[in-house]
Amino acid sequence: MAWLVVRLAISMSLLYTASAVFEDQVGKFDWRQQFIGKVRFALFDTHSQASKKLLLATDKNVFASLNSRTGDLFWRHVDKTGPEGHIDALLMYGQDAVVVVGNGRLLRSWETTVGGLKWETVLDTGSFQAAALVGVQDFVKYVAVLKKSAISLHDLSSGSEIWVENLPDSDSVQYQTIYSGGNGLVLVLGVVPNSHIVIVEYKIEDGEIMNKKSVEAAWMSSLESSCAVVSSGILLCVDQITQSLYTLPLQSAEQTEMRQIHLQTLDLEVVSGFRPVLTSTQPNPAQPPLSEFFLQLSPDHHILLQFKDGLIAPLRDFNPAYLAAFATSGERTVAAVMSPKNDTACSINLFSADTGRRHLDTTIIYHMDPNGGKPNRLYVHAFLKKDDSVGYRVMVQTEDLALTFLQQPGRVVWMREEALADVVTMEMVDLPFTGTQAELEGEFGKKAAIQDGLLPMVLKRLSSQFILLQAWLAHLWKLFYDARKPRSSVKNEVTIDVLSRDEFNLQKMMLMVTASGKLFGIDSKSGTILWKQYLENIQPNSVFKLIVQRTTAHFPHPPQCTLLIKNKDTGLGSLYVFNPIFGKKSQISVPALPRPILQTLLLPVIDQDYAKVLLLIDDQYKVTAFPSTKNVLQQLQDTASSIFFYLVDSSQGKLSGFRLRKDLSTELIWEVVIPTEVQKIVAVKGKRANEHVHSQGRVMGDRSVLYKYLNPNLLAVITESTDTHQERSFVGIILIDGVTGRIVHEAVQRKARGPVHFVHSENWVVYVYWNSKFRRNEFSVLELFEGAELYNSTVFSSLDRPHPPQVLQQSYIFPAPINTLEATLTEKGITSRHLLVGLPSGNILSLPKLFLDPRRPEMVSEQSREENLIPYAPEMPIREEWFINYNQTVSRVRGIYTAPSGLESTCLVVAYGLDIYQSRVFPSKQFDVLKDDYDYILISSVLFGLFFATMISKRLAEVKLLNRAWR
Amino acid sequence: MKMRACVTALLLLGLRACLSQDVRHHEDDEEDEDVMFQTRAQVSGRALVPGVRTRDWISSARVLLDGDKHVGFIRDDGSFTVSDVPSGSYVLEISSPTYRFQPVRVDISSTGKMRARVVNYIRTSEVIRLPYPLQMRCVGLHSYFIPRETWVWSDFLMNPMVLMMVLPLLIILLLPKVFNPSDPEMRREMEQSMNMLNSNQELPDVSELMTKFFSAPKGHEKAGGGARGHRGGAPAARGGALRRKTRD
Repeated sequence: MAWLVVRLAISMSLLYTASAVFEDQVGKFDWRQQFIGKVRFALFDTHSQASKKLLLATDKNVFASLNSRTGDLFWRHVDKTGPEGHIDALLMYGQDAVVVVGNGRLLRSWETTVGGLKWETVLDTGSFQAAALVGVQDFVKYVAVLKKSAISLHDLSSGSEIWVENLPDSDSVQYQTIYSGGNGLVLVLGVVPNSHIVIVEYKIEDGEIMNKKSVEAAWMSSLESSCAVVSSGILLCVDQITQSLYTLPLQSAEQTEMRQIHLQTLDLEVVSGFRPVLTSTQPNPAQPPLSEFFLQLSPDHHILLQFKDGLIAPLRDFNPAYLAAFATSGERTVAAVMSPKNDTACSINLFSADTGRRHLDTTIIYHMDPNGGKPNRLYVHAFLKKDDSVGYRVMVQTEDLALTFLQQPGRVVWMREEALADVVTMEMVDLPFTGTQAELEGEFGKKAAIQDGLLPMVLKRLSSQFILLQAWLAHLWKLFYDARKPRSSVKNEVTIDVLSRDEFNLQKMMLMVTASGKLFGIDSKSGTILWKQYLENIQPNSVFKLIVQRTTAHFPHPPQCTLLIKNKDTGLGSLYVFNPIFGKKSQISVPALPRPILQTLLLPVIDQDYAKVLLLIDDQYKVTAFPSTKNVLQQLQDTASSIFFYLVDSSQGKLSGFRLRKDLSTELIWEVVIPTEVQKIVAVKGKRANEHVHSQGRVMGDRSVLYKYLNPNLLAVITESTDTHQERSFVGIILIDGVTGRIVHEAVQRKARGPVHFVHSENWVVYVYWNSKFRRNEFSVLELFEGAELYNSTVFSSLDRPHPPQVLQQSYIFPAPINTLEATLTEKGITSRHLLVGLPSGNILSLPKLFLDPRRPEMVSEQSREENLIPYAPEMPIREEWFINYNQTVSRVRGIYTAPSGLESTCLVVAYGLDIYQSRVFPSKQFDVLKDDYDYILISSVLFGLFFATMISKRLAEVKLLNRAWR
Repeated sequence: MKMRACVTALLLLGLRACLSQDVRHHEDDEEDEDVMFQTRAQVSGRALVPGVRTRDWISSARVLLDGDKHVGFIRDDGSFTVSDVPSGSYVLEISSPTYRFQPVRVDISSTGKMRARVVNYIRTSEVIRLPYPLQMRCVGLHSYFIPRETWVWSDFLMNPMVLMMVLPLLIILLLPKVFNPSDPEMRREMEQSMNMLNSNQELPDVSELMTKFFSAPKGHEKAGGGARGHRGGAPAARGGALRRKTRD
């Protein structure tokens, strides 16, 4: 028994070290970038002059604090996804920030320096309308939250509820805004659309209704979008139909109707079809707002107006101006206005709010990214300089979710690409050779015709060798030159020009497609964004599919990627073809896709330019080929009979297989219907096209071979029961041959429900489900074997497989929830496989596939030991050493992408979610390269030692021989 | 030609699969709406990292219920509440990139009663009560890294192989120096001691006894031999294992 333990210990220790990180490897080949998402609220900390805090709340339910000097995160709080974590409002006072979360369900106060929670209060249910800080006698003490039918007041220091009052007539009146001018009253403004406005005054101390009045306003449909409060409680509204402004003193008893001021009297006009916007500012919640306000009349026309003694006077007209914003520092309020300068740049200028006069020398030039979107938000941080003048910095948000922080005179302090918080799909592409490498390749390429003769060939050879020598010398010189410079001044700037494939192809180009329609090309080694391209007019509910049609292997043809953008509702798609290395749009003409696309298919067939052929199948089962040259069509005709594809219609529970005909029409071959009343298809997965399987079988304990069932056409279909009751729900898995439609295997997991995560690879399928009876996650593994004999060892054909495979299955308990699942992938498939499990805590677990082996025996036998099978244990271990990303957690990990590198032992991993993490994993350790800690000194000292020892002993032996001869 | 016939098309994931995802989302929402009418409880407790100020670790920590279905944040004093949790059984864990906490199972009955117990995934119905409100105590730092194997002289010297080589060498070298075998006095002494050892001729030899004892059942001896072979060949077997693994 003892030796068993020893053997086990050995095998376990092998696994133990299989894919752990050493402490000195931190940051060596991995990096992480943290994102927050699309900014909804941004506030600068104006509490003290030296403060660097910038508070942001985003649509990803993230509340974060950024260092405004560097753009790095101070801290970040990631709430749950969905509407329950949605941030409705962000208010800041002093060191504290008050956040309303989950449609007004929670009120939280954060201490902003360390990011700790101060208090949290649960509010009554009800749809959130507005929140405001309420001040009494120059001190802000309360926060008021307006719901659809109630208003509540909370203490700022403890969060305790002071009072909560139901709003009068809340069924008919839509209460939308709160106003408090610091005079002991809270005003709630509601509207009955196209009828009248309702104003209710509450006393701060006890919530008593002091006054309630309604004012006629037949033209008004919504308060929120068209009104603002200016000066000492004057409600100001704008209406584009009557082309006029309306004013109403909120607290005056005598005026019972709104006063109309025609815009014509001010020489103004709203552009037809544009909804005018009013922007006012209330620097201190305990005091009334300023009497100056912005009126936006068209997308690029703003005007600064002043309300004084019941009259409105224009202070300054900004035409053209894209954006305008107020900012306050101390007692002085300024307005920053962004106006176009030329086609590629905008200038931002500062104006004093009370006079509209321009501050001198305050211009910031903002250069627009030609590949980016237009600016759509402006956040201004104003501060007082030593000479008492106002200085400012601005943060510009663009349509493509880039945040740029600028300071005078236009220096970009930092930039964040928040589109990367929502990566939809990605690919990794090999980098191209450098110019010299390409030159060497060219020697053997098309151009080098054999008729050149012997001598030119020799000369070419010599010249290319000379080029190599030159490059090497230049490299040496650069090394020498850099070594002389102080380390800090050496910048490791990565540009596309210096990028080239490394020896082991470990550095690749990461192509990332984001939900906002922005494409990124990122260097996998450093994480530097090398190019970005914003695709305009992308519908928010689009689906993307990225296809690599031509890799970098076909010099001088540039690599080519195709992005299929499909509208989820209509199914209509369009193609965007680009060069993945430089991000440039390709000039190739793309086919028009008038019909909804159901399926895409990348064929191994290549055209004369080495681009793989992409087939697009529309809803009439017609096939469009891209590229569709004569050559391609000819090839398609020849191979049409062996091209099959499948379609999934989950709404009807239908899986169908088709074959291509010579005229690019299709014929239905098989159809499998899964009754939708009982279960629905959740996901279908085939195998990855670039996967290699090195060994055909497994050697058993008795030296016989168990051959794997390696069907490249196998589809794994996951179904979930429509009945969600705990006792009756189930998860099903069906393995279908995609060519013949034959059901190879079917399994059902009772008392289980989704979400199901699964990996389909080689001859196995691993899937995770939730066991609703025992309330735990369970892993199940299916392995398919042909048996002891291989039916046709040369090639696999779906049409000729008379014997069904043997299927083995085993299940295990996984003691943690799971976000995503993926398997490692290596160049030749020799290295053992690991499963990469993304956990909600942000860790990525590298779980050896050895633990998920259905042949794990319950009773240890001689043979199972011989095979190195680990005895079955119901619970899967989770070791912290297996976390490949140590403390670099990836928030809300949504996908893991694996790609092989040039080294068989190494697999490149990118995990993306809210953050992006890139690393390498070595499932069987680094068996093909010297280890990082290889002891060169010891080896060389031993070598030298031996060398000198032999020298000395040789000499000694000579002396001894000589002496003996003399004797 | 045969090859071509068997080259089957690459099958890619149906774009329609995403439709099904959409369907699922909708149903989740409906489920949530149902849940809204159930009682919603608040899970509260306190997390403690001994010897560390709370402000140093709370900004990167979160309280997670069943993954990130429900999320709570930790207050300045280490206390936390997770609001709006429908009745059911949840595993509560504190996720911090630096500090490790034991997860706790929290049961909320439909009337809103709370119970905390030890997480046991194998026997899920077993109840080992824990105090409620929860007391989450840090059980140490995460150990993400494994130490490098370092080369130390003492390791090398204490290696059994080295010891086996060095000791005989010492004996061979040193023994002749200690006493001279050609000295007649010494030789006599040695012979005497040899006689002393062999004086009791009747007593069976220890080694002989052992072999007899172990060889009694034939099969057993074989198995033992095999086992010994294994143990002796441990490094080789290990290499073999690796090789096989890579072949897989």
